[in-house]
Amino acid sequence: MALRLFSRRQPDPAAQRARTVAKRAARKPEPYEPAEPLVLEKDPLQRHIQLERYGHVVRNRQQWVDHPLIESAFQAAIEEIDAHFALVPEGFVSLSQTIVDAPGLPELDIETDAFLLGRTCVTNGQFQKFLDNGGYEDLDLWPQDIWPHLIDLKDQTGHTGPRFWREGRHNKLISDHPVVGVSYYEAAAYAKWAGYRLPTGAEWQMAASWRIRSSAHVLRRYPWGDALDISRCNIWASNIGHTVPVTEYESGAAPNGVHQLIGNVWEWTSFDFTAIDELARTVVGDMLLKEVRGGAFDTYFPAQAASTFRTGLASLTRAHNVGFRCVLDLTPSDAADAERRPE
Amino acid sequence: MTTYAEAAVENSCLICGARNLVGAMVCCDCQAPLAIVHDVAAQERDPQIVTILGESNVGKTVYLGFLLDMLTQRAADYEAIPKGAYSVDLQQNVISHMARRTFPPKTAMEANSWYWAYYQIYQRKPAPKWIDLLMPDMAGESLAAEVSTPNTFKVIRSLLKLSAGTLLLVDAAMAANGSTQPDFFAVKMLSYIDSMHQAKRDERVQTPTAIVLCKADHCPECFDHPRRFAQANLNRLWNLCENRFSNVEFFATSVVGSLGYATAPGEDYVTPIPLHTALQGVLEPFQWVTDQL
Repeated sequence: MALRLFSRRQPDPAAQRARTVAKRAARKPEPYEPAEPLVLEKDPLQRHIQLERYGHVVRNRQQWVDHPLIESAFQAAIEEIDAHFALVPEGFVSLSQTIVDAPGLPELDIETDAFLLGRTCVTNGQFQKFLDNGGYEDLDLWPQDIWPHLIDLKDQTGHTGPRFWREGRHNKLISDHPVVGVSYYEAAAYAKWAGYRLPTGAEWQMAASWRIRSSAHVLRRYPWGDALDISRCNIWASNIGHTVPVTEYESGAAPNGVHQLIGNVWEWTSFDFTAIDELARTVVGDMLLKEVRGGAFDTYFPAQAASTFRTGLASLTRAHNVGFRCVLDLTPSDAADAERRPE
Repeated sequence: MTTYAEAAVENSCLICGARNLVGAMVCCDCQAPLAIVHDVAAQERDPQIVTILGESNVGKTVYLGFLLDMLTQRAADYEAIPKGAYSVDLQQNVISHMARRTFPPKTAMEANSWYWAYYQIYQRKPAPKWIDLLMPDMAGESLAAEVSTPNTFKVIRSLLKLSAGTLLLVDAAMAANGSTQPDFFAVKMLSYIDSMHQAKRDERVQTPTAIVLCKADHCPECFDHPRRFAQANLNRLWNLCENRFSNVEFFATSVVGSLGYATAPGEDYVTPIPLHTALQGVLEPFQWVTDQL
């Protein structure tokens, strides 16, 4: 018996063309509603509060000592920080030094002091305030060697701003989604402008793994425990396929209420990414790699979204799946200490 | 007593039609695995072939491995059932390597070493249907050899003749860097397919052909406007598609979220390391092709 195994169906060309044309026509662009421009307060202190530069107000209280509204503004800033930041207690972390994390391979132990970590990633709406306040033009916020690259930090329409914005405005339909399409330097500039800084890789891991100093020696693979639960985070397996508002997945929050450390977007940290492979060769990138943590909505392997997983991204990359959150130091000296990474 | 002739009739190669002895593992003529014959014979539907083409190192194996793995995990409402354990080998090879942050080894040139994936796929949208697909992971070097000297790899020619849909992978990162190599390879590949169809001057190849711009994470503008990118950076390919292929669409894809390089002092080569995965645009070209099967 001869099997008729392959029958290449002869399609009707006219019908096929019609189908293709229909399909192309059906591909509607994503809805985009540009956010309205902000009317800025004239008073500089009130403008700081309006722009959510709470860290700046708190850390520079002396600058406003003669301002008639300083007490109420300071109180408002403290209340906002209380609402939007959570205390991460002191602890210690072991950073894998190899690209494959397995028992017995070299790790770097780092002590972390207590600090305040943003409960959510910075949103499009928040980043818009930085842009509207001239954050991209304020050279004091940017390392000098990056100044020549500032002209490249454009949006879809050639205006200054995150890569996926248009005409310098974010899509207000996703105001409460994490801002993406920002390089490490844009993230760091925002944090500096607002009076904060980016977390170190060790601090981020401390917050996600919750390895506090106690006799229990707790180390969580995910903020909620050791087992992956796709109902608690937005990774590829969650089948969402895009970012979600920064306050979603409450059940996946860390014990102190920090949201979405796992999934939704990778998060920039201030650490340079260094690692070795199985043959002890150094892993480098085309340009400086900064450490990113936590996985994103398109992270395929759950292990790559775990609290201990370290990876790097070129510092000027403006990816669709990378955002950031901020840290506020409990004391000013902590800021300088955090930037120094142990050898 | 069974004669060779009687035995061979039941064991015709799916790909090239050559008759093989019962018990043979691979086709004596084109080297395709004959296990597929038995699996196909057990089904009631005719399988269709979708070919994944592209030059060496463009990422065919990684693309196909992730695609199959995504399908088996019910991505985009697909359901995929592997027919035969050999069908799972490719996705297992790719996934296990990428999870350990290494790329899978290069596909061997010999057809009997290729991975062959035979899947029954249920597509819910736009209209529910089952498709039986056969997708071999062909080596880029073998494709190049066959294109430059036809019939060097008979299996490739046979596969392309039977192909109901094609995904041609093109290295967008190289093209964006100004290399003409991806453009020329893609043109050669499509020109080979065009000549094989022996279409008349005024007829165009109608097989659905998805041009997949790979490694698009290196040139993000690919994702914004794949057609515009191809027109600007792969102009020879663009023109050939316009002239000779009536059913072409352009897509951008990337699998690796960040690429590092392992290097040591004194070594004159570097090993690429996929630091993490971030899948973008993997399903879309496949969806576009299967919508038309």
